[in-house]
Amino acid sequence: MKKGILLSLMSLFFVVSMSGQKYFTRDGKISFFSDTPMEKIEAHNSKATSVLDASNGNLEFAVLIKAFQFEKALMQEHFNENYMESSKFPKSSFKGKVTNIKDINLKKDGEYNATVKGQLTIHGVTKDVETTGKFVVAGGKINAKSTFDVAVADYNITIPSVVRENIAKTVKIAVDIKFEELKQ
Amino acid sequence: MKKTILIGVLVLGAIGAITAYFMYNKPHKDMEAADADITLEATALFAAFQADEQAANAQYLDKVVQVSGKVKHVTEEDGKISVTLDSGDEMSGVVCQLDDLSTPSRTDFKEGEQVTFKGMCTGVLLDVVLVRCVEVQ
Repeated sequence: MKKGILLSLMSLFFVVSMSGQKYFTRDGKISFFSDTPMEKIEAHNSKATSVLDASNGNLEFAVLIKAFQFEKALMQEHFNENYMESSKFPKSSFKGKVTNIKDINLKKDGEYNATVKGQLTIHGVTKDVETTGKFVVAGGKINAKSTFDVAVADYNITIPSVVRENIAKTVKIAVDIKFEELKQ
Repeated sequence: MKKTILIGVLVLGAIGAITAYFMYNKPHKDMEAADADITLEATALFAAFQADEQAANAQYLDKVVQVSGKVKHVTEEDGKISVTLDSGDEMSGVVCQLDDLSTPSRTDFKEGEQVTFKGMCTGVLLDVVLVRCVEVQ
């Protein structure tokens, strides 16, 4: 019995001591940009969640599709109802790794290039992706940024022919995260 | 006769163009004027998403949801203010991101204060997230 308590205390201690390695946010910014000669469209979301485990580089993101805000109400409506079907697929997520986490010291001020690999899920379709990004550590604050392209057709999103000239086949996605240390 | 047809076509064309223009520029929902579709406590909203996310999505997504609860904390990021309401769960809350398109009557929310917001429910991650929230007094 006593041994059991001791063991659970030890495992608790282990969890707590490891927790210094985890970073998270629930105010991450994710934007996307569709740029064609006919029309520029952008939408912003500042409520993405993300968790980074600095001990092994594991990185996760999640974002609610309906929380993307557009300048034009009609575009927001089309985006949700016709293209992303956000009632059926309310979230997009990323699960993967910062592959060069060993070269990044989040405790030390500086700029670090990062390579990220993993699975991106949009519109219920999961694809392997690889991109680069940057960690900027300044005064103990950690900012992670990345931009990458996503081909709309890869995620089974069909754009009707009437607006084909207005919506880019490849949209640019920008991620801008301020990580906080996870305290437990 | 030909003239009447021509005028008719022109008028129809003009009506079409004007309709298209207004549809294209259709304004966002006026959250200050919007009536709440559903009114409940923040704890009840969170509990519904905890119990069955799919059912809660079907019930609350895209609805103007009015929630009342205790302020857990307030965050500001690039001028965007989010008020997190106590959900009864330590790790999670009900986040109300204030509306960008209207001017909030106040932003000095205090921890522990009882407040009511109406906003668009967008789903659950760690927290249940409501966007375009307006305080209800």
